Amino acid sequence: MKNTIKLLRTERGWSQATLADQLGVSRQSVNAVETGKYDPSLPLAFAIARLFERSIEEIFDDQENIAQAAE
Amino acid sequence: MTQQTFKSAGRRYWRAFVPLMAIYMLIVLGGSYYLKIIDPEPRWLQVALGVATALPLLGFFAVMLRYFAETDEYHRQIHLKGFAYGAAITISAVTVVGSLQMFDAIGYVELFWFNPMFFITYGLSTYALGGRQCL
Repeated sequence: MKNTIKLLRTERGWSQATLADQLGVSRQSVNAVETGKYDPSLPLAFAIARLFERSIEEIFDDQENIAQAAE
Repeated sequence: MTQQTFKSAGRRYWRAFVPLMAIYMLIVLGGSYYLKIIDPEPRWLQVALGVATALPLLGFFAVMLRYFAETDEYHRQIHLKGFAYGAAITISAVTVVGSLQMFDAIGYVELFWFNPMFFITYGLSTYALGGRQCL
């Protein structure tokens, strides 16, 4: 799933490790979510949204998935 | 769960894994050697050593389950997928070998080797899915 985590993170000058520390996950997890290799669970998505003070929809773009499901 | 907890989950896994592996190797290699040098081989000792290999093995699985519970969700997913692939490959191999034996296509095969086969395929699958950092 596409997302804006990398943009939001770099805006704040955080490394992946810093973000991972704040979320309580591994740096590899942050990297996997950022690159779209892994879709986070709902609790982790909420934690990310809360940390960046955005809504989940503002961070994660599931339009591609919705379009695929509609086909 | 914090990053620190996640890291310590890996450390706890290896701290338990290494001694369990040592016990397993001791039973397998030490037991084989001891049974070779004593004559006659006591039946009860053969059975006891054979069954004893299950103890560290059960320990391995307990340690793995604890790691799955303690690690973060991404690593959990990678390891569970790797575990499933390892199990699928090993069970398929056991089934094929069992069927070949049933149809008299092949002779005796050491079932012992399917255990390391599972752990190797589990490790390789985990590596393929998540890279070196997921091991």
